[in-house]
Amino acid sequence: MTMRRLVEELQNFYLLSFRSTIGILHKPFYGKEMIGHMDYIGAGSFFIVFLVSLFIGMALSLQISTELASLGLKMYTGKIVGISIIREIGPVAIALSFAGRVGSGMASEIGAMVIGHQVDILRVYGIDPVKKLVTPRIVSAAIMLPVLTIIGDAVALFGGAYIVIFVSQESGSFYWSQIRAAMNFPNIISGIVKPFVFGYLIACISCYLGLSTKGGAIGLRRATTTAVVLSTIMIIISDFFMTQILFMILGMKA
Amino acid sequence: MIEFQNVSLMYNQHRVLDEISFCMDFSEKIAILGGSGEGKTTILKLMLGLIHPDSGRILINNQDITVLPEPALRDLRIYFSIVFQEGALFDSLSVGENVAFYLRERGEFSESDIEKTVRTFLRKVGIEEAIDLMPEELSGGMQRRVAIARSLAAHQPKMMLYDEPTTGLDPITGDTICALMNELSAGAPQQRSGLAIVTHDVPAAASVAERFLYLRQGAIFFDGTLEALKNTDDPGLRKFIEDILI
Repeated sequence: MTMRRLVEELQNFYLLSFRSTIGILHKPFYGKEMIGHMDYIGAGSFFIVFLVSLFIGMALSLQISTELASLGLKMYTGKIVGISIIREIGPVAIALSFAGRVGSGMASEIGAMVIGHQVDILRVYGIDPVKKLVTPRIVSAAIMLPVLTIIGDAVALFGGAYIVIFVSQESGSFYWSQIRAAMNFPNIISGIVKPFVFGYLIACISCYLGLSTKGGAIGLRRATTTAVVLSTIMIIISDFFMTQILFMILGMKA
Repeated sequence: MIEFQNVSLMYNQHRVLDEISFCMDFSEKIAILGGSGEGKTTILKLMLGLIHPDSGRILINNQDITVLPEPALRDLRIYFSIVFQEGALFDSLSVGENVAFYLRERGEFSESDIEKTVRTFLRKVGIEEAIDLMPEELSGGMQRRVAIARSLAAHQPKMMLYDEPTTGLDPITGDTICALMNELSAGAPQQRSGLAIVTHDVPAAASVAERFLYLRQGAIFFDGTLEALKNTDDPGLRKFIEDILI
């Protein structure tokens, strides 16, 4: 890709993100579509989020309790698990599974509509495809990913509790008291702001690549794969910068 | 009046259209012929302002659409309706919902009015009984008829555009689609809505169109009536239209 092409692509991406975001402010609002997408994104992703979170919580708890046991600090597993899950691992891991399922779905669905000329039909009828197809998906993703993350965090913490109580043979009430302590304002804000931004990014990237689909099945494959790869990279990169920004805003120190 | 003036378009380093110029009236029945990849569908898309040329001008009623922003293009697109190859129906909507799509989008009609309009146009294309079916349950011919009904329900266009309407259909279904196209563009010239059909199905084009454009290597190689087309001396073109010479 030439430098000029890259700049053009970025420019188009930012323009689409901007147009779809301000689309929230004016009619038509496409509420029915939004609810449909929320159902697909939220309820449809519940099982995968449940599974991923449960096993991440258990694996993390097992790793940490093993390491802490060598230092004689096994009872503090809950503190580290709680902070890691709520601040960092929960939002990132759930966003990555979300990008795989929802991001690829958005890119392939919109891409198929481009190839099948349905997007052209919308334009011929004077319907803005960005407003009709992108805005509802962005709003749904930005709302549902934080909701899924809250559920996923809870499931991961229960997974951690299972290991602490039944494998490490530590006190469950002490584990939960440490989890409660980890649920302070900065951690909760951090755990909700990140998935909100991730959801927005995944939807923008996936919808942009879907709308840019060219060619037949190969173009669709490329759009879908690129959507997942780019979303994954952007989640990791933006997580670092958001962590820094949130540390500054919330007065936390490295 | 639709006018193409020296329109050129490149796609992936390949010159699809090379300075083509022609004009046509909204009431004309025109067929754009040519082999695969000759830019036939591209002409329809350019006409609708869905894509823009690299150079040249496209005038719709003396207004250059190549420089118009999307909202202004929407006002000009109401002159046309398009039926894409395979119908371009919305997969998640039933036949009735597809036909009602634009009416619901406008939000100006009651559900009973929409239902009545949908049934009227589905009856007109002969598939009212399919109203509750999903697009995947329809044959290719039925999908195209639903697409025609959807176009008609949306608005009364000055010109219908058909992209390969008979491709992939059996001859009987193809004839039905051609009869439908003729019925929708029937009437005296200047009073009827015209049609532009893009196809490599020459017999189908011959049964609906009165004027023929033949594209070769990005240029308009032939522009004339059916009689002139049949009398062409060019061996390549004669080979292309051999189905109507027999």
